[in-house]
Amino acid sequence: MAVTTYSGAEQYNFEIVKKFAVMSIVWAVIGMFVGVYIASELAWPFLNFDSPYISFGRFRPVHTTSVIFGFGGSALFATSYYVVQRTCQTRLISDGMASFTFWGWMAAIALADISYMLGHTQSREYAEMEWPIDILIEVVWVAYLAVFVGTIMRRKQPHIYVANWFYLAFILATALLHTFNNLAMPINLFSMQSYSLFSGVQDAMTEWWYGHNAVGFFLTVAFLGMMYYFVPKQAGRPIYSYRLSIVHFWALGFMYMWVGAHHLHWTALPDWTSSLAAAFSILLLMPSWGGMINGIMTLSGAWDKLRTDPIMRFMIVALSFYGMSTFEGPMMSLKEVNALSHYTDWTVGHVHSGTLGWLSMITFGSLYHMMPKLWETKMYSRKLIEWHFWLATIGIVLYIVAMWISGITQGLMWRAFDQFGNLQYSFVESVAAMHPFYAMRAIGGMFFLVGMIMMAFNVFMTIRQGKRESAELEAKLAAKLAHA
Amino acid sequence: MSEQKLQSQTVQTTGHAWDGDLQEYNNPLPVWWVYTFYLTVIFAIVYWVIYPSWPFGKGWIGGLSNVTYVNSAGETRTHSWNTRALLMQDMNKAAVEQKPYFDKVAAMSYAQIAKDPDMNGFILSAGKALFSDNCAPCHQAGGQGVMGFFANLTDDDWLYGGSYDQIHASITNGRHGYMPTFSEVLAPGQIDQLANYVASLSGIGHDAAKAAAGDVLFHGEAAACYYCHGANAKGNTEIGSANLTDNIWLWANVPGADSAEGKVAAIRGVIASGLNRGVMPAWAGRLSPEQIKVLTVYVHELGGGQ
Repeated sequence: MAVTTYSGAEQYNFEIVKKFAVMSIVWAVIGMFVGVYIASELAWPFLNFDSPYISFGRFRPVHTTSVIFGFGGSALFATSYYVVQRTCQTRLISDGMASFTFWGWMAAIALADISYMLGHTQSREYAEMEWPIDILIEVVWVAYLAVFVGTIMRRKQPHIYVANWFYLAFILATALLHTFNNLAMPINLFSMQSYSLFSGVQDAMTEWWYGHNAVGFFLTVAFLGMMYYFVPKQAGRPIYSYRLSIVHFWALGFMYMWVGAHHLHWTALPDWTSSLAAAFSILLLMPSWGGMINGIMTLSGAWDKLRTDPIMRFMIVALSFYGMSTFEGPMMSLKEVNALSHYTDWTVGHVHSGTLGWLSMITFGSLYHMMPKLWETKMYSRKLIEWHFWLATIGIVLYIVAMWISGITQGLMWRAFDQFGNLQYSFVESVAAMHPFYAMRAIGGMFFLVGMIMMAFNVFMTIRQGKRESAELEAKLAAKLAHA
Repeated sequence: MSEQKLQSQTVQTTGHAWDGDLQEYNNPLPVWWVYTFYLTVIFAIVYWVIYPSWPFGKGWIGGLSNVTYVNSAGETRTHSWNTRALLMQDMNKAAVEQKPYFDKVAAMSYAQIAKDPDMNGFILSAGKALFSDNCAPCHQAGGQGVMGFFANLTDDDWLYGGSYDQIHASITNGRHGYMPTFSEVLAPGQIDQLANYVASLSGIGHDAAKAAAGDVLFHGEAAACYYCHGANAKGNTEIGSANLTDNIWLWANVPGADSAEGKVAAIRGVIASGLNRGVMPAWAGRLSPEQIKVLTVYVHELGGGQ
C-alpha cells in the first residue's frame, strides 16, 4: 500500500532519478579524488610510487571520464529524467529502458576507468575508451534518446518546456559526435585496439570537432537545460525571457559546430580552417551569454534570496563562472592570444573555471534542490551546504589563479629570446618555475574535494532521514487504518 | 499566479505553465545584447577579410594581410598571411642575431674563443640553449650526470679526455663504453680479491691480504685488467678505460654505499657483470659543426677542461 503524495511517487518514475543522482555523487567523489591525486603527482612526483597503474598518463583519463561522464553524465540523466517527467506531466515511456540506460552507463564508465589503468586507450582526448566500450555507449545513448523522445511525445502539456529543448539537443548532438569521432576498424574481434578511419590532420580535426562540441553540447547545452528548470524553480520566479531562450538556443546550436578547429591553432591544420573557427568563436560569445542573462535576470527581484538561500548562491556563482569562461574562451581562440596560451596551464585553468565554476556549481545547486524532493524530506544540514559553497568557491579561485599565473609564465618563458637570438630558458626551467603553482592548484583541488565529501555525507544523511520519515508516516497511517 | 507584482504590468508571461509554477516572461531581447552580437558579427567579417578563412574551389580565399620573410636560401618572399611564413619570420630574426657569432665561432680557434670576453657571453647563452635541448636529458641541466649511467661533466676526471679536441671528438662521433663480463672467467673469490685491490687504489677500506692477491691478478694474464686500465691503473683516454686511482666513480656506485663492504661490493658488481651501457649518440649530422664547436667550449668550461 503506497501513499499518494504531491510529488507523485506513482505518477512519475523517480526510482531511476534517485539511482542516477546517487551515482552522480559517487562518481564526483571518485573523479575529484583522482583529480586531486594527479594534481599532487605533478607537484610532488614521488606520489607516482613508480606504479604504471596510477601514473599521470593513465590516471588523467580516469579523472576526466569519472567527472565528465560519471558525475556530469549521471547528473544529466538524473535531472533530464526528472525534468522531462515533471514538465510533460507524464511517466517515462519505459522503466525497463530507463533502467538499461542506468546499468549500461555505469558499466561503460567503470570499464573505461579500469581499462585506462591497465593501459588501454585510443588516445583521443575525452574519448579514450576503446571500441568495445564505445559500442556499449552507443547502444545506451540510443536507448536514452528513445526514452526521452518517447516521453516528450506522450506529454500531457501542449508545449515543450525550454529545458527539454536543451536536453534533447544535447542527446542528439552527443549521439552524432560520439558516432563520428569513434569510427574505427578493430584490429580483430578479440583485441581492444583499433585503427581510426581518419588519418593525420583530418584525424586531429575530427577529434577536436568532437572535443569542443562535447564541451558545447554535453557540458554546456545540457547544463543550460538543468539551469532552465532548477533556477526558476528555486527562485520561484518565471524565466526572464522566452524570446531570448529561443534565440540563444538556435544561435548556440548553430555556432558551436564550427569552432573545434581553434584547438588546433599553430599546427599542421590549414590556416583558413583555424581562422574560420576563431571568428565563429567570437560569434559564439553573445549566444553563450544569452543563457547567463536569462538565468541571472530570472533572479532579479529576488536578490534577497542570495543572502538566505545557499542553493541559490550555488546557482548564481555557476552562472557568473559560465559568463566568465565563455568570455575567456573566445579570447583564447584568437590566434595571437592563442600563440601565448596554447599548450600552457592557462588552458587547464580555463577548462576548470568552466567545469568547477559552472558545471559543478549548477549541478550542486540542482541536486540540493532535487534530492530532498525525491526522498520527500528536507536536506539534513543547511550548515553543511553553506560550508560546501565556501570551500568550493575558494577551491575554484585558488585553482584558476594558480593556472593563470603558471600558464602565462610558461607561455612567456617558452618564447623568450636573449640578445644573442638564443632561447633564454630551457623547457625544464619552465617546469621548475611551475612548482609553487602546481602545489597551489593541488590545494585548491583539495578544498573542492572536501566540499564534495561534505555534500556526499549530507546527501547520505538526507536519504536516511527521508526513509525514516516515510516509514514513520506509513506506520502512522497503518495504525489509523487499523483503528478505523 | 501573482508573479506580475514585481514586474511591470506591460510584460506578460507566455501564458503556459509547467509543473505547477514554471512560467516564462516574454521580455524582448536585451538591446545591449543584440548590439554586442552585431559587433561580433562585424568583427568576424573583418577577421575573415584580413585572414585566410573560407575554402573556395580546391583552395581558399587568401585574406588581405601579407607576411614578408626571408627564406633559408636568403630570398625575400611575401605571402598572404600564413603561420609558416610567420614562423620563418620569427626564426629568421633569431638566426640573423646569431649569425655573426656563429661565423666567428667557425673562424676562431678554441684558444681564441676562450680568451674573447664578447664570445664568452655568446657561448654561455647558445651553449646553455643547445646543452639544455640536447645534452641535459642524460647529463642533467648542470652537467652533473647520473651516478651509474651518465658521466659527470663538471669535474676534472675524463674517460675520453678533457681537451678541446677530445671533447669535440666525443660529441661529434659519440661514445660506446664497454667492459667485458668477468664472472665467467674468474672465480667469485678472485673477483672479490680484485675488488679489494681496486678499492685500495683509491684508499677505500679493504682487506689487505685480498688486495695483495688482487694486485697479482690485475697485472697477471688470468684477469689482465692492465690491458685496458694500464699497469698503473690510471686508465686510457684512447679507449675510455677509467682511472681507478682517483676515487672518482661513474659505473660503480661507490659513493652511494655506506660501509666499506658495500663499496667493495659495488666494485665487485661491475667486475662481475661488465658494462655495456655507456652509449652516447653521435651528434654530427644532428647539430651543425658550429653548434658542436659551441658545445665543446661550453662543456670544457663546465668544470675541468684540460
